[in-house]
Amino acid sequence: MIYADRSTGVIVTGATGNQGKFHIPLMNAYARQVGGRGIVAGVTPGKGGQESAGVPVYNSIRDALKEHDAGAAVVFVPAGAAMDSVMECAYAGIGLIVAITEQIPVHDTMKAIEYARLQGSVVIGPNSPGLLSPGECKLGIIPAQLATRGNVGVVSRSGTLTYEVIHELTRAGIGQSTVVGLGGDPVIGQTFTDVLRLFEDDPETEAAVLIGEVGGSLEEEGAASTDLPLVAYVAGVTAPPEKRMGHAGAIIEGGEGDARSKIRRLDDMGIAVAERPGEIPDLIRGYL
Amino acid sequence: MRLAEYEAKEILKGYGIPIPVGAVIRSPGELEVRLGDFGDEIVLKAQVPVGGRGKAGGILVVRRDEAISRAADLFEREIRGFPVKEILAEERLAIGKEYYLSIAVDRSSRQPLVLFAGAGGVEIEVVAREQPDAVRRITVSPLLAEIPPFALRDLLGDLAKDLAPVANRLFRVFLEKDAILAEINPLVTTPKGIFAADAKIIVDESALARQKLPRGRAQSDREREAEAHGFSYVDLDGDIGVIGNGAGLTMATIDLIALYGGKAANFLDVGGGADRERVKHAVQLVAGLSSVKVIVLNILGGITRCDEVARGILDAGISQKVMVRLAGVNENEGRALLAGKGYTMYETMDETVLAAVEAIR
Repeated sequence: MIYADRSTGVIVTGATGNQGKFHIPLMNAYARQVGGRGIVAGVTPGKGGQESAGVPVYNSIRDALKEHDAGAAVVFVPAGAAMDSVMECAYAGIGLIVAITEQIPVHDTMKAIEYARLQGSVVIGPNSPGLLSPGECKLGIIPAQLATRGNVGVVSRSGTLTYEVIHELTRAGIGQSTVVGLGGDPVIGQTFTDVLRLFEDDPETEAAVLIGEVGGSLEEEGAASTDLPLVAYVAGVTAPPEKRMGHAGAIIEGGEGDARSKIRRLDDMGIAVAERPGEIPDLIRGYL
Repeated sequence: MRLAEYEAKEILKGYGIPIPVGAVIRSPGELEVRLGDFGDEIVLKAQVPVGGRGKAGGILVVRRDEAISRAADLFEREIRGFPVKEILAEERLAIGKEYYLSIAVDRSSRQPLVLFAGAGGVEIEVVAREQPDAVRRITVSPLLAEIPPFALRDLLGDLAKDLAPVANRLFRVFLEKDAILAEINPLVTTPKGIFAADAKIIVDESALARQKLPRGRAQSDREREAEAHGFSYVDLDGDIGVIGNGAGLTMATIDLIALYGGKAANFLDVGGGADRERVKHAVQLVAGLSSVKVIVLNILGGITRCDEVARGILDAGISQKVMVRLAGVNENEGRALLAGKGYTMYETMDETVLAAVEAIR
């Protein structure tokens, strides 16, 4: 498992909003099930002293850290203020920040990620479904009931497509070490390269599934950076150019980032590329 | 969202980057009024949101006495599939040298990337491929408000003295207009000084509200309607309607249709946590496409509840066949609601898509 474990205390920012109120209980139910610490505090400026979904709410990360020990934060703050929240977490020394919020202006994201990097924090997302290590911890919104613990790392730019793949893996009896959703935006904190390097050093992870989509070249860069046995899948083979396919980052621009050329480059590196998600379990089984 | 050339140029002008004398016209008559403003030769540029318009005949250099009739011809044309509704009429510059200058959001470095090439007017992708050394690149920390002098020297070499002010003004445009691309191609020298002869600005879709720009200009009516319901939607040209939850899953569904020999009519992502009402609208929207013979509905419930989805399908009450795949939260409740109502249900997305493709054959 990578990034966090059951001993990681987690703060949720945007704790009193709908998303926060919906997902705090789900994360804490999972923490109880696996014997983890889960969400120890929430933060919403101006709502300090309240409770949200059973956790105490503070006005700031600093206030929360006076009362609780936390190593990670999950950000549900709405788009206009989400990156401010990321920077607040980084400034307060939170080492791992998972940003779920979508539709954040990309200039805000670039600034916050650079700021967090200089503060020594790691950002996953934005527009990420978060992180799930089955049997250890859940930071975000990945449905835990689909996953089972095992030795395959999963890293993806997608949300539900990731759920589809872990669902298929679980049905095939193949467990996962950690599932990481990088986020569907053009600029994201952790990339395939970062996650695959961590998987490579993780004794529990024997092989990894890389789930990419149209736009950019992070898939190829990531695959080239690791010796870990990999199975890849790239969505958007039939995506028309210059059209945003749901995710802000899923767009073929200036003739770059189309799925076929990504697949060709992955193929050239000797990586097994699944034609359809349903093929992934059989392909990954060959590496276990 | 890509701005029209004239809008991009107006912005550059506001930041002190010189642009040619010009006017936007929406009819030949509007040109007649301004005819004296441009000199003996006039450049007519079709304002279509697509690259390569020069090669496609969208840019004409004409004499003043023939300008009105040539503009009238251009208004009748389609450039790369786009009708010409606006033309930018400009003075013809006496061009000395041409350069390429752009600033873009670079996904790999997660920083602004500034590109400069000593040859302008051609597509930078082509230059980068054929003469990689001719393109200089620097990244700038997103925490900086301007490009530092050392970086400008790296980027521009001997030309730094002349071009550095333009580069920094373009950088300010890039930052303040939430651009994902701000490009001047070509940036030209003339006896009157340096000019942006062409300009392209693409504004981040997630920043349109704070830039006070309307959404979805380049969208079809259906794409606009879908967006009003909160869906991500793209028109495609096949006959199998597609509804999924999540962008990646929906894209994968469309790819799978193609893999099995079919063709998707659309991409529709209902988004996370879609309720009965949203699903109903999605199904009705896709069923309303005249090309759609069968619909694939692929839901993997996490935040989305399968029973809500089933209720939405029933509410929609449409005539086409719907192949339904419900997996995840409340899948059994969802399937029970649809049982015996004429919907075909499948366990996996493979089975669902295969059935839809075969139903059409």
